[in-house]
Amino acid sequence: MNRTVLLVGLIIAAVLVAVLFAGLGKNPAEIRSPLIGKTAPTFALREVGTSRTVDVTQFRGKPMVVNFWATWCGPCWEEHPVLVANARMLQPQVQFLGVVFQDKEDKILGFLNQRGSSYPTVVDDAGKTAIAYGVGGVPETFFIDANGVIQAKYSGPMSPDVLRENLQKVMKQ
Amino acid sequence: MIAPLGRILILASLFAAAAGALIGFYAGRTRSAEGLRWARRFAYAYAASIIAATLVMVYALLAHDFSVSYVAQVGSTQIPTWVTVVSLWSSLEGSILFWGMVLGIYIAAATYFTRERHEEYQPDAIGVWLGTAAFFSFLIAGPANPFHTVANPPLDGPGPNALLQNHVLMAIHPPFLYLGYVGMTIPFGFACAALIKGRLGHNVLKPIRESLMLPWIFQSVAIMLGGWWAYEVLGWGGYWAWDPVENASLLPWLTATAALHSIMVVERRGILKGWTVTLIQATFLLVILGTFMTRSGVFNSVHSFTQSAIGPTILGFLAASLLFTVALLAFRIDKLEPEGRIEGAASREAMFLINNLLFVLLTFTVLIGTVFPLIVEAVKGKQMSVGRPYFDSMSIPLGALLLFILGVGPALPWGRATAAQVKKALLPPILGAVVFLIAGYLFGARTPWTLITLAFGGYAAQVTLGQMFVPMLQRMRNGDSFAGAFVEGQLRRGRRRFGSYIVHAAMIVVIIAIAISSSMRTQTELHFVKGQTQQAGGYDVTFQGVEQRSEPHRLSTIGVFTVAKDGKEITRLEPRMNQYQTMREPIGSPDVHTTALRDVYISLSNVDTLNQTASITVFVAPLVVWIWLAVIAMALGALFAMIPARRAVIVTTSEASGKDSLPNRTAPETA
Amino acid sequence: MIAVLLLLLQLRVPDAAQFVGPPKGAPLAGEALEKRTNEVGRLLRCPVCQGMAVSDSPAEMAVNMKGQVRELLARGYTEEQILQYFEKSYGEFVLLRPKSPVLWMLPVAAFLLGGIVVFLKLKKLERAPPTANRQPFDSAQGRPPTEDPYLSRVRDLVSGGKQ
Repeated sequence: MNRTVLLVGLIIAAVLVAVLFAGLGKNPAEIRSPLIGKTAPTFALREVGTSRTVDVTQFRGKPMVVNFWATWCGPCWEEHPVLVANARMLQPQVQFLGVVFQDKEDKILGFLNQRGSSYPTVVDDAGKTAIAYGVGGVPETFFIDANGVIQAKYSGPMSPDVLRENLQKVMKQ
Repeated sequence: MIAPLGRILILASLFAAAAGALIGFYAGRTRSAEGLRWARRFAYAYAASIIAATLVMVYALLAHDFSVSYVAQVGSTQIPTWVTVVSLWSSLEGSILFWGMVLGIYIAAATYFTRERHEEYQPDAIGVWLGTAAFFSFLIAGPANPFHTVANPPLDGPGPNALLQNHVLMAIHPPFLYLGYVGMTIPFGFACAALIKGRLGHNVLKPIRESLMLPWIFQSVAIMLGGWWAYEVLGWGGYWAWDPVENASLLPWLTATAALHSIMVVERRGILKGWTVTLIQATFLLVILGTFMTRSGVFNSVHSFTQSAIGPTILGFLAASLLFTVALLAFRIDKLEPEGRIEGAASREAMFLINNLLFVLLTFTVLIGTVFPLIVEAVKGKQMSVGRPYFDSMSIPLGALLLFILGVGPALPWGRATAAQVKKALLPPILGAVVFLIAGYLFGARTPWTLITLAFGGYAAQVTLGQMFVPMLQRMRNGDSFAGAFVEGQLRRGRRRFGSYIVHAAMIVVIIAIAISSSMRTQTELHFVKGQTQQAGGYDVTFQGVEQRSEPHRLSTIGVFTVAKDGKEITRLEPRMNQYQTMREPIGSPDVHTTALRDVYISLSNVDTLNQTASITVFVAPLVVWIWLAVIAMALGALFAMIPARRAVIVTTSEASGKDSLPNRTAPETA
Repeated sequence: MIAVLLLLLQLRVPDAAQFVGPPKGAPLAGEALEKRTNEVGRLLRCPVCQGMAVSDSPAEMAVNMKGQVRELLARGYTEEQILQYFEKSYGEFVLLRPKSPVLWMLPVAAFLLGGIVVFLKLKKLERAPPTANRQPFDSAQGRPPTEDPYLSRVRDLVSGGKQ
């Protein structure tokens, strides 16, 4: 029996199978955010349909939910009512903010007028804020605590349970 | 009616394969001729049932029978007929059924063509083949069943993925890929049989070589078609991104190429048997790994089928195959004793050994790059990427070394060579290197690696051309006419040699074309209003306007451009954005003008029908078409080499010359 | 008009300076800028596409990112700074050229190890005894190498491979 072949072969086989097995069940498209536990990048953007600026630092001292979305994104339509209802419920303890990028002003206004709104929505024209937040797609929601530190990020449409779960992380203090 | 029929046929194939495998191994142990006969019958029965099942599915697709689950999944009455046929392999369940059919055809053919003179190895080989077949039939019968009955059949279906309908290459790339991938099972079976028997004799070497060569040809073409398709369809101007699934198709090709070379040394010198067998085993294992990578959802890839339950099942089969192979190799490889020797480092045998090393290194590098993110995530929980920069950095030097060996290897003689012989063999081709280098430089090549590639390529080209025509030249020296020598020496007697050197010549063209087309490519991003002309890559591009074209399954918005050079119009290019009914986002489709010298490629990134504006990227790349053409030449050369030689010419020992020149072998070579 | 001016003064977008400090290199423009944009863009992974580079992807996210790269290069940020910026917000995932030194060393180590293995094999095969005469090897192991190959084939067939 050739011991070298056996040893080398078994090692390669074991490592390969173990690694592939560990990869099963994970979604490779889901990217975890490196910003969790770090201070949220600050920004001041124009509120849609107005010439007012909304500066995110003005909400310091309150936990925040920042939701990146767009009108052409299907799951964003799904989650919108959840966000609007919860925002209404939780004000003024928690501040909700919507950030739209890669979209057209009239479409955003039309969407909000039709489907309701209970919190400010700002426009991030060149998507720079999205890039600073490491947004890969829409919808993505960031949960920021009262000190301005990002405690959680969720990719995908928000459901009431997920919202509740993540809110707990920022409302602890 | 159809769905239950399909399920029955699949179960029949599973039974035939499982029973046949057991009988095959039993016949191998007892050397029972009757056992072997039964094993063969079950092999044919497996083939018949799986082929029938596939034909049933094709019928169901063409008849739009939506009571069959797979048809409900990918069928549609709105799509053209060729897309209906193509949808057989467009989605996971159908593709595994297709795999089964191809395997059935291969097993039946292999069983039939080796039914005489290979009885020693056939039982175990059939056992291995049918064992693999049983696994795939199990997948089709269970986790990946396309024959479920749909309770309330819909009136119509969604059709296959829109991306797959974009181009006709979609029709031929997958079948070629399967004919390559699946075919590697056959030499694997023979290699296992050889290990089990503890002998790698001539009567198994020939079947191994031929059963390895055919899938290799298909695999080569498949990889080329994949690259060509990516180039024509995806719009980023490239043809290879080192995507995990692309790598999955390349890995077995690399080890198969090494095995095809290594087997030559076994045939001639009786050495490197262990290497050869290991390379063949590795090829099969990489095929299984490849199919796992594509279907498990573990890898982030453009090609991935959706995540499904069959991932763990395939991993289980991979683990079992790995264990079986490692055990077989560990316990039996020492039985394959070398029967010859190497005379020195400056010999063709030694070059083959180095060749093996380089291919294995390249395989290892591509494999580790593909799998590394998984390792890191498992160990550190961190997500990272390994992309083109890594793979390019590693494969370019290795590729250059392989090109170097492609030149030096065939130049060196077999066996012992004097210093004078070595000098005579290795020095003259330097002329070729210089010629190619100058030609490339004049053409515009400047980057160091491209110049190195040109030099090595020129060297190899001279060696290849020289070696290619040795039989003909020898005959002419003995008095034959040019035509006679050519026909006899190259076409009738020297097919294997001639074909092989054509493959080498084609490979040189491919590598040089890849080097030049990547390093000399220009990429220009432009924004146009209607009627505007701008410069890109030496051409004048004029935007003529936006057109819209409506087809039953899609709406195309087309940007019309004319391309001119020195005032003369060369072509009209129409890149488009296709909006398919079933997809939310439109899919871009570039347009390419291909000539022998260069490609002009326009990709549409943004188009506004109202304002008649368009944003495009213009790529100009030289010599791209030679990549596709050379691979086709490679396939043809290999096919030519496979055409059987005339029946055995038995030569007595006094005539045995041991010389390299003529292909007549003194060992009886069966036709 | 004044309102617009006031508004513009108030708008603030998160900036690379927040992440990586001031630009460390010289600003670029024109063709050099475009070329470098493509080069750096090829090192960044588009987060929504399957593995494509930001330079190659038509996705709007990728176009945005490429625009950001162009702007940063124009302001004089170095490649290293730009990659660092994206890494801070997206994670190491976004870098197509892996940082891990292990990964870069593994092929080199394999090359050296393989070289040693091949060298040893070469030496071992050189030491093997020379064959009895210059006949090509015969597949039948255990039989005298000078046996007529036709005869050994007959043996093969008759004995069914038994030794």
